[in-house]
Amino acid sequence: MTNKISRRKFLKVVAGSGVVGFGVMAAGCKGDPSGAQGWIPDQYQGKGDFPVNLKGRVAISQDNPSIERDDEKCILCGQCVEACKNVMGVYGNYPLPLKNEVACVGCGQCTIACPSGAITEKRNIQDVLAAIDDDSKHVVVQTAPATKVSLGEEFGMEPGASVGKKMVGALKEAGFDAVFDTCFSADLTIMEEASEFVHRLTKAKDEIPHLTSCCPGWVKYCEYFYPELMHNLSTCKSPQNMMGATIKSFYAEKKGIKPENIINVSIMPCTAKKFEVGREELQVDDQRDMDYVLTTRELAVLLKHKGIDLNTVAESEYDSVLGESTGAGKIFGATGGVTEAAVRTAYYFATGSNPPADLLSWQPVRGMKAVKEANATIPGVGTVNIAVCHGLENARQLLNGIKEHGSKWQFIEFMACPGGCIGGGGQPKSSVADIKQKRIAAIYKEDNSSAKRCSHDNTEIQSIYKEFYGKPLSEKAEKYLHTSFVNRHDRLF
Amino acid sequence: MKVKVYKCFRILGWDFTITPTRFVLTGLVALMAATVLLRLLTGFQFVTNLTDETPWGMWIAFDVMCGVALAGGGYSTALLVHMFRYKQCEVVARGALLTSLLGYILVMAGLFLDIGQWFNFWRPFVSWGYTSVLFEVFWCISMYTTILSLEFFEIITERVLVKKLHRHILKILPVLVVIGLVFPVLHQSSLGGLFLIMKEKMFPLWWSQFLPIYFLMSSFFVGSAMVCVETTLARTAYGHEIPHEIMLKLTRVGARIMLVYLLMKIYDLFSMDLWGYVFQGTLQSNMYCLEMLFGIIIPICIIISPLRKTRGGLLTYAWLTVLGVIFNRLNCVFTSMYESGSYFPGIGEIIVSAGLVSLGILIYCFLVENFNIIGNARAVQVKIDKDKDIKNLIWALLRTKRH
Amino acid sequence: MAVLVDITKCIGCEGCSVACKMYNGLDFKAKPRNIKDGHLELDDNRWTVIQEFHTANDSLRFVKKQCLHCLEPACASACFSKAIQKDEKTGAVVYYPDLCVGCRYCMVACPYSIPKYQWNEQFPQVAKCQMCEARLSKGDAPACVSACTTGALISGDRDELIKKAHEIIASDSRYVNHVYGEHEVGGSEWLYISDVPFEELGFKQVSDTPVTNYSKSYLSKVPFFAAGWALFLAGLTYYNHRVEKNKKNQDDENKDKED
Ligand code: SF4
Ligand code: SF4
Ligand code: SF4
Ligand code: SF4
Ligand code: SF4
Repeated sequence: MTNKISRRKFLKVVAGSGVVGFGVMAAGCKGDPSGAQGWIPDQYQGKGDFPVNLKGRVAISQDNPSIERDDEKCILCGQCVEACKNVMGVYGNYPLPLKNEVACVGCGQCTIACPSGAITEKRNIQDVLAAIDDDSKHVVVQTAPATKVSLGEEFGMEPGASVGKKMVGALKEAGFDAVFDTCFSADLTIMEEASEFVHRLTKAKDEIPHLTSCCPGWVKYCEYFYPELMHNLSTCKSPQNMMGATIKSFYAEKKGIKPENIINVSIMPCTAKKFEVGREELQVDDQRDMDYVLTTRELAVLLKHKGIDLNTVAESEYDSVLGESTGAGKIFGATGGVTEAAVRTAYYFATGSNPPADLLSWQPVRGMKAVKEANATIPGVGTVNIAVCHGLENARQLLNGIKEHGSKWQFIEFMACPGGCIGGGGQPKSSVADIKQKRIAAIYKEDNSSAKRCSHDNTEIQSIYKEFYGKPLSEKAEKYLHTSFVNRHDRLF
Repeated sequence: MKVKVYKCFRILGWDFTITPTRFVLTGLVALMAATVLLRLLTGFQFVTNLTDETPWGMWIAFDVMCGVALAGGGYSTALLVHMFRYKQCEVVARGALLTSLLGYILVMAGLFLDIGQWFNFWRPFVSWGYTSVLFEVFWCISMYTTILSLEFFEIITERVLVKKLHRHILKILPVLVVIGLVFPVLHQSSLGGLFLIMKEKMFPLWWSQFLPIYFLMSSFFVGSAMVCVETTLARTAYGHEIPHEIMLKLTRVGARIMLVYLLMKIYDLFSMDLWGYVFQGTLQSNMYCLEMLFGIIIPICIIISPLRKTRGGLLTYAWLTVLGVIFNRLNCVFTSMYESGSYFPGIGEIIVSAGLVSLGILIYCFLVENFNIIGNARAVQVKIDKDKDIKNLIWALLRTKRH
Repeated sequence: MAVLVDITKCIGCEGCSVACKMYNGLDFKAKPRNIKDGHLELDDNRWTVIQEFHTANDSLRFVKKQCLHCLEPACASACFSKAIQKDEKTGAVVYYPDLCVGCRYCMVACPYSIPKYQWNEQFPQVAKCQMCEARLSKGDAPACVSACTTGALISGDRDELIKKAHEIIASDSRYVNHVYGEHEVGGSEWLYISDVPFEELGFKQVSDTPVTNYSKSYLSKVPFFAAGWALFLAGLTYYNHRVEKNKKNQDDENKDKED
């Protein structure tokens, strides 16, 4: 009996203390709160709202046509802000609160700066592949001069390797129906722009300084920040869109293809071009000049997807009608190139003869200096003061100076990206230190080795004027090759 | 009244009747079991349509809110019978007690399924979130279910463990009855109290300072109405007749409370200046009008009109009241809160709810047939046959015999 | 610890929401679960989101949304197992999953519908901004605040931030004269100032009374009511007992009804 009771007691005590202990434990230990399981980059440690050198990131709106970002890859390193603010002069150069747009010129420098590959161009590879597979569509592709000296890098070639002809071969193998050269339409641009410049110099002095308009990043920047200079912009479309408009009119007519069945694709070193092709103004008779833009990087992906190796692919020539190019068109890809090409032809227009040798290798406008100044003496016109500027932060400083003191230049070339198109936001990423110089060198090498160095010497250009456009700045040329601009100032200010 | 006799198994002295309806119900229960398994193993994703915007769905609104309200019959009859000495009503007391107990057990089952980390269900016992109304509901419901089980044990022990326990239970029964009347009053009102904190979310027509009182009152009058409905059903099934007078007496008390409820609601409309919402014609206001008209006003009219003297009239009153309260609970959880949410219960939720109700009916039938609940002494007379062993069980299963 | 959100300074870079996901180990791949009126809403893998608004006068505003960390948190008061608690020191309203039963009362109780649920988990938990309580208790700013470059998010002492907010409003006429979160349902640790009326930016218009007041006042009455009711019932039982006894007219000493 006693034994029994004590055992029962014992069990009771054990059970009771067990329950109590469990209860206390369960009540007392609340365990860990949820969250805080991840990591955060080092600059955000500590009392993190102190300012640090590199932090944050740029804003990219959902409907940005040029670039997009995969949040999962972003490491908040702040490199994109660095590029956007200090190289391109966009971030931080507009007041807060926002008006009605997230400022972005689409230059894509952030895609180059982003170390983790979070920011990329908005890809159109699938669209283009679908167009190629669609038999009812005639898919035309054009390649920009700067892509010819960079695409090789994506296939392991030396920086600065010239792969223009291989690229043509690869594109034909990929199934494009016609491959044209944007250098051709660069020549066309020069014909128009040089004429326009000469016209402005002599007859429309209020539109001087003449500002180039072939770089869509710069154009949008001008529309955002310097709308008062918009009437100084050359009304010429960019070579890409001149080509597009010509394909859907002249070429379509010649080939007997309905323009609506043509898909215009371009291979560009540039993400801003993706924005440009969507512009309202860039359509003629309800036909969009251009349909899709692929960056150099996207083209590499597309070719690899198709199993085409640029190293082994057979070289090929551009298709005719819109395929011939001159050295002048080729140097469009480098900073100073447009100026040099324009001066060559302006000289011809003014004097009727080709420029002398020093204007064919015009060193003052070449190189990576932020703002390059030069003057060209053209007989009959006089001395033209020229400035060449690349990198929009440089442009900002230059233009602020102009706003204050007026312009001592009659012609200013602007390129959004440092180094010009060869440093574009759609170009292959590279850690080679002087990659831009190497690409530039390759471009000038191509120019030097060209038989024809001036746009007006291009026989296909001559024949297109004869057959279609008449003469530069003709009514037809105005319709197809010139455009207007949109004041975007009040979207930011 | 003639009662149709169906196949009945007697196993170890217990009667299991099989009818086509029960066959279907058993099927539903089996379906539910499968769904429950799926739910417990995979969480909510495949079984329910719950979303962040409608975190509480059918299981809370119907199984819990309505279940508790409908099970209110137990305490309201107990209150009338044991406290206010409506002695004539004693005949319904046991039935009401049983339905309440079943109701609560099913409510607990529903709740258990509805909680995400069900293995943690015991947490509130040790980690006291005493600032929460739900805390009170949780404790009261658990306590009350325990008390109800003990009370019901009295009936069970009439047949099982008679010698050992019955007299002890009988002894503490009065205490149990008193405690058993405290808890339901507390949690019925607390169920309304749950919504107090949703002031900023509820449609103003439903939110009121008096919500706890509303829920308490409505649980009371729906309790008597439910007893009425349920005895009618039992009458059809078991020929268990309850005099109309008794039913009327029960419901009349309910109807009086209903009238007070209506007056308070109207007072609310004036005091919070809500008349504008009533007739604005939106979904919410229409639902509110429907609820008030069919759930409250028409039943009151029936009770004060001579219609109450007819069986049909009383039954209509009871059904309208029951449906009205169900509607009110659904409105509180859904209509009043999720103006943009489009929640419709998922098939799994419906299966589980239907299965739970079926399970309840099956258990009810079994208990009624085996214990003295609605006045049939039949079951008690059956002696427990100790000699029926496994062999007989198998025998019984193999050879069905008519009862 | 509090945070002041200056809506006029936000550029919508979403660095804050990325920092939050990174720091809290949330799933970047999870598709948005809730989109309401075209606005991305919080969900179990989005403890904070940036919502885009185009206002009546066509300006673009971004609003950071997360738990406001109320001074009188309805969620914490609603939780019956104390799985949500307001941290005394930091003011953060913190969720402890180990204590959570999963009743989701907190979700229904929160006036702003902040807590979300892991609907796809086997054992789902509640998900909401924890105000980076672990960082706060070290003295750091919340992860999102650290990641903001524009000054749209500033953390600091609540009283000082309120003072600062009013100073900003007073110094710039474009601001709406209202600090959202100063008094809303009793006030919160997160405060907002804006140049666009808050209604236009999806801010809920709530009264200044903490919703917890209603349940508190109810619960405070319950014990008295319960005791009174129990006494009444006991008395009634006793009375009934007496009546019965009298009626039967017999003495029954050993029967003893306790009350
Ligand atoms: S550079 Fe890329 S990784 Fe760095 S913050 Fe910008 S988007 Fe993120
Ligand atoms: S906002 Fe909601 S979730 Fe956050 S503390 Fe307040 S009540 Fe809780
Ligand atoms: S879901 Fe969890 S945290 Fe929310 S109230 Fe219920 S137990 Fe508390
Ligand atoms: S305070 Fe922390 S948990 Fe809350 S939104 Fe910011 S980063 Fe996320
Ligand atoms: S980090 Fe700052 S600026 Fe960027 S979205 Fe968040 S609050 Fe806005």
